[in-house]
Amino acid sequence: MCDNCLKHGTAGKWYLNARNYSNEIVEEYNLREFLIEQYKNFEQIAVRKIAGFNGVGLGYKIQMPIIGRIVKHTAEKMLHSTKPPTNPLKAEGHIGQVVPLDDAIAILEHCAAEPIIQKYCMCRYMHRGEKDACCINFGVMSEIIEKLPRFIPVDEKFQLTREEAIERFKEHNEKGYIGTIWYGPYPYINNLCSCANPECAGIRPRLDFGINSIYKAEYVVDIKPDFCEGCKECIAKCQFDAINFDPIRKQSIIDKSKCFGCGVCLHACKYDAIGIHPRKDFPELKGIY
Amino acid sequence: MGKKTKIKINYSICGDGNEINPQECLKCLKVCEPALFLLHESFGVEEENPYDPQIWRVTPLYPSLCTRCMKCVESCPGEAIQVTW
Repeated sequence: MCDNCLKHGTAGKWYLNARNYSNEIVEEYNLREFLIEQYKNFEQIAVRKIAGFNGVGLGYKIQMPIIGRIVKHTAEKMLHSTKPPTNPLKAEGHIGQVVPLDDAIAILEHCAAEPIIQKYCMCRYMHRGEKDACCINFGVMSEIIEKLPRFIPVDEKFQLTREEAIERFKEHNEKGYIGTIWYGPYPYINNLCSCANPECAGIRPRLDFGINSIYKAEYVVDIKPDFCEGCKECIAKCQFDAINFDPIRKQSIIDKSKCFGCGVCLHACKYDAIGIHPRKDFPELKGIY
Repeated sequence: MGKKTKIKINYSICGDGNEINPQECLKCLKVCEPALFLLHESFGVEEENPYDPQIWRVTPLYPSLCTRCMKCVESCPGEAIQVTW
């Protein structure tokens, strides 16, 4: 279990604790105005200077000997912050975790605060120019969305019931999008995203620049060699390069240290060769998130 | 690691309310494989509605990921993008 679970999970996973979704937290931290201000400027956050640095040319900044370490430390400190958020123009306490389909359904069924909406994925819009309604939001985010017309899906219903939200999430997951749940800001959970690499502004810092911006899931995927027919469908689905093809045995093999446990490859396998298991069952992966 | 890639965008052609509106064009964002461009609201512009800004620009956010394929340069209708290394 990661630190977040121990502190906020009431002996379970942090994202299955309904208090983290509640309006009490919104009132306690006064998040309504904070979130409006943050989402009003959402696309600008990466280019705004924070502590003298902005995200422009991040890859080259990280490669610099000393400055690189300062940038990485500053970014992680900000993302992992557990203090009450103060500046809406920073991604303070905005840390997420990959969730497989079953956990996402549990979130939508039991934890997510009403009302539930779907909105355009901002990451995919600002990095790829595509409008794709695949972010599911709950609670106060659903209320402030009406002030931010550019995120509201056109020609589509955006207020969802729980069942509709689950249906939508399943669709995205089967398409190959990774389910992710986010503190935004800590300790309030309001986003269940369906992310894709390289557009996702949350996954990318970790994969491209080594900034720990998202945790791996509580699960890890395993391939049963007896069932694998070597069709390579799962390889195409994996966005983390964790599955490779063994040309000698003509089978897919998985690198568990790279697996984020999103479970997207499960939809691709026609032979039931892929199983998803809790991370703690594998001693070599224990505590590695 | 060779030389750094530099990507420059001429904002007098694209964005900031000039000739090309990046919100309608979006060509460089769509052709870029590593999706290194960022579309965002322009800084310091008076907007009628700050909740739904209309004046945007494109910033090459992560030039370190550039594969130097030059697709963005070719696709830009105003020849506003320059890639050098």
